[in-house]
Amino acid sequence: MHARNKELIVKELQSIVGEKNATGAKHICYAYSYDLSFVKPKLPDFVVMPSTVEQVQGILTFANKERIPVVPYTAGTNIGGLTIPERGGIIVDLKRMNKIIEIDPEALVAVIEPGVSHAQLAAALAPHGLRFGWPVGPPSASVSSCAISHGIGGMNARYGLQSQEITSMEVVLPTGEVVRAGSCAINPEAWHSVLPMPQLDGLFKGWLGTTGIVTKLGINVHHSPPLLKIFTVCCDNVDDMYSYMLNLSNYEICDDLTGVSWWLAQVPIPYPYKPKPEKDPEWFSYATTYSFTQKEKESKEEIWSLVLDQEKQKGTSIKETHYPEEALKARTQLPSQIVGSTKNYCKQGGAGISWPGTFTPAKKWAPVYKKWKEILISHNLSPSVRMSMYRGVHYGMLRAMIPFNKQSEKETENARQAIVECLRVDLDMGGIPYKPPVDFAVEINKRAHQGYLMLLKKVKAMLDPNDIMNPGKLGF
Amino acid sequence: MDWKISDLKELEDKIWRCTACGTCKVAYEYGPPTRSADICPAGAEFGFEGFMASKGKIAFARGLLSGELNWDEDLLDAIYKCTVCAGCQSQCQLDHKPFIPEIIEAMRRKAVEDGVGPMPSQKKITQSLRSYNNPYQGPRRVRTDWTRPFKKAKRPIKDINAEPAEVLYYVGCTGAFNLPARSVPVATASIFQKLGVDFGILGENEICCGSTAMRIGDASEFKRVAEENLHTFQRLHKEGGVKTIVTSCAGCYRAIKKDYSLASGYTEALDGIKVIHTVEFLYNLLKEGKLPLEGSIPWKVTYHDPCHTGRHLNKFIIDEEGSQLWKGAYIGLNEEECLYDIPRELLKAIPGIELKEMGRIRANSYCCGGGGGVMTGYGEWAASNASKRISEGMETGADYMVSICPFCHYNLNEGAKRIESPMKLLDLVELIDRVLPSLD
Repeated sequence: MHARNKELIVKELQSIVGEKNATGAKHICYAYSYDLSFVKPKLPDFVVMPSTVEQVQGILTFANKERIPVVPYTAGTNIGGLTIPERGGIIVDLKRMNKIIEIDPEALVAVIEPGVSHAQLAAALAPHGLRFGWPVGPPSASVSSCAISHGIGGMNARYGLQSQEITSMEVVLPTGEVVRAGSCAINPEAWHSVLPMPQLDGLFKGWLGTTGIVTKLGINVHHSPPLLKIFTVCCDNVDDMYSYMLNLSNYEICDDLTGVSWWLAQVPIPYPYKPKPEKDPEWFSYATTYSFTQKEKESKEEIWSLVLDQEKQKGTSIKETHYPEEALKARTQLPSQIVGSTKNYCKQGGAGISWPGTFTPAKKWAPVYKKWKEILISHNLSPSVRMSMYRGVHYGMLRAMIPFNKQSEKETENARQAIVECLRVDLDMGGIPYKPPVDFAVEINKRAHQGYLMLLKKVKAMLDPNDIMNPGKLGF
Repeated sequence: MDWKISDLKELEDKIWRCTACGTCKVAYEYGPPTRSADICPAGAEFGFEGFMASKGKIAFARGLLSGELNWDEDLLDAIYKCTVCAGCQSQCQLDHKPFIPEIIEAMRRKAVEDGVGPMPSQKKITQSLRSYNNPYQGPRRVRTDWTRPFKKAKRPIKDINAEPAEVLYYVGCTGAFNLPARSVPVATASIFQKLGVDFGILGENEICCGSTAMRIGDASEFKRVAEENLHTFQRLHKEGGVKTIVTSCAGCYRAIKKDYSLASGYTEALDGIKVIHTVEFLYNLLKEGKLPLEGSIPWKVTYHDPCHTGRHLNKFIIDEEGSQLWKGAYIGLNEEECLYDIPRELLKAIPGIELKEMGRIRANSYCCGGGGGVMTGYGEWAASNASKRISEGMETGADYMVSICPFCHYNLNEGAKRIESPMKLLDLVELIDRVLPSLD
């Protein structure tokens, strides 16, 4: 970009957000040019920090007029390069819009701005005896970005995905207008539900920030029952683990029902690949349950024992096991900065982590895992795989957390190739990646129904006629 | 003396251990109670990711090493807009954790070596060090002005160069030259006299510990004064029988305990000498029943942990050889030397004092805002940051804030004035001096 133009644009942005909150300085832009993932660093041209909805409107109206790309940013903790600008432009860093506008402990709804972090919300909910489904991520990560990107959390088996907790939203469109979806669209004080109206919130969920900037979000929050019981088992193979998880999920007693391969049960994940000791089980599971009364807890224990017996009778290798205490804390005491941070998994690799992270039918978990294991080991990477069941359904999250040495271009590319190869396998078996980097979006689009792609492009063009919002991230 | 002070290139592998996960940005405790708050003064003030905790500073380090970033005024400014408080370090769990402040200071050292650093307003610190052996541009004769009341009361303080003493009270430049902070050496010496401690001071011959020079990247000036001090300590031990060096200055304490240990002759220079902060010295006497505290101070107080006496004294456990985890793996930390409990125990021992804790304490203490050369380089920001800390103290319902650092003393009082807060910062020694029986 021409220096004179750049200077004029900075001045314009500063007139919207104040002198201290807009910059084109290279060192500041550089800090936004990379993340943890294999995605190649790319520089934005400007960074702005709005603190009001009106300022967001001002930025988008200006950017739309000038056809300057805009990338919404909260904490940058995703591992898909989602905030790395494909075509330069303006990073809109929303960390200063961090108000918890309301917590209604009776209605079990909270209204938050996009910069609210998991840690901030957790601290605000705790005095009310309330909780949210924190993901295995750093405390500074954004609640709203995780939710609108269909992130997962620690209560997926009970309440579904983070995006299923969304009750209402306010959005600034790429053209600068403020719109609302859900009950708050009809009554500005009502943030309790996206139903029964048309689910217009769907225009902004899973779109990777390509259709607008969410400026307020209503979410469901939940009571925090005092009695925690975690059931931990292990087994020798993925088929047995699938059988156990399928069986237990039918009873719907868990907040989180997750299986992890031996490599993921190690914190950090071994890098490069190292073989599992022969005597060790290949799979572990933790099933988190919370109860209000002792009797409720005992009932859950009864159900779990029943499932365990049934699995043993089937001849599977499932058996009760002890899960390392620190690792268990990581799964239950969320958000956590200790072993709870996904990013700690990559300690041994050195700075890099990426994934094939997917929603995959549960019955495909075992065959996909077996293929992934082959692929990853052939790339000298650990098959550190997690499978989590979602609420009342037999599909769920299947992902492999892949650390790598980011200092080395060769090792980064090796990880990228392995991950994309894994993704192709999963897509071919019916899985769909979430929070996908562009490499994944390209693979999705190759397989997509033409009608889907046409609709996607039409909606995008309607909302963002000049294609300024995070352009390129949808793979077209 | 040889010094093990790393340059930026030597830290490259550590720099690449940062994932940019952002855990460093928030002081978070799972609890109960669950707590979450800002931890990075620069991040809270300036906001952009480059300023935000170690995540941003590491980005600058990467860019400088790769050649993608080159020195310009704005980059230099961003690197010096950091109090090097290590609040981010307390949150991080990755292998570069032990080296985070080191990486920030290595960038500053590079700036100085490349002839662009420190900031113009900070250059007077090192110029003053060269001219006066203190960062305050104070003539050496002024260094003992605080001792006048003692002379007047006919209780002169020993000049350790002339009269031997077992304890060297190393005053530090802030206590000696910064008028509002002079109450700290006055109270310290008063306490020692009341307790009958055989102590002396270096007086006009005391020179700066070098902490500020180190924090702003002037390693050569730091080494000059540090080596001179180490030689002095050794001489006083051999010739004058000094067995203990006690200081009430958090910055001096950290410098002598930690920064000086990077010298090849450190162990030999301090052989037979114990370096101790005044509060620990007094706490040991309290445990032995030799600190008679009488009367009562019926105040509600809150305690501010200085960075220098807290998390800066962490000892990190690293798998250097890769025998436990892998080479260079961060394994854990030892807080044994951090002065977290001792000041609190002393406060609780003062009759009438009610301690009201703030949310951010101990390893998560929120920096007063004056460290890392910020008080000189960015005075207005340092004071506004101190105002935030004072406001946090006021929320506890305390009447006073107490600390053990003359630097925090000055800056937090400036912060209080700025927001017209009735809260005042007192040094713990000032409180103890009040309840120690008088000599008369």
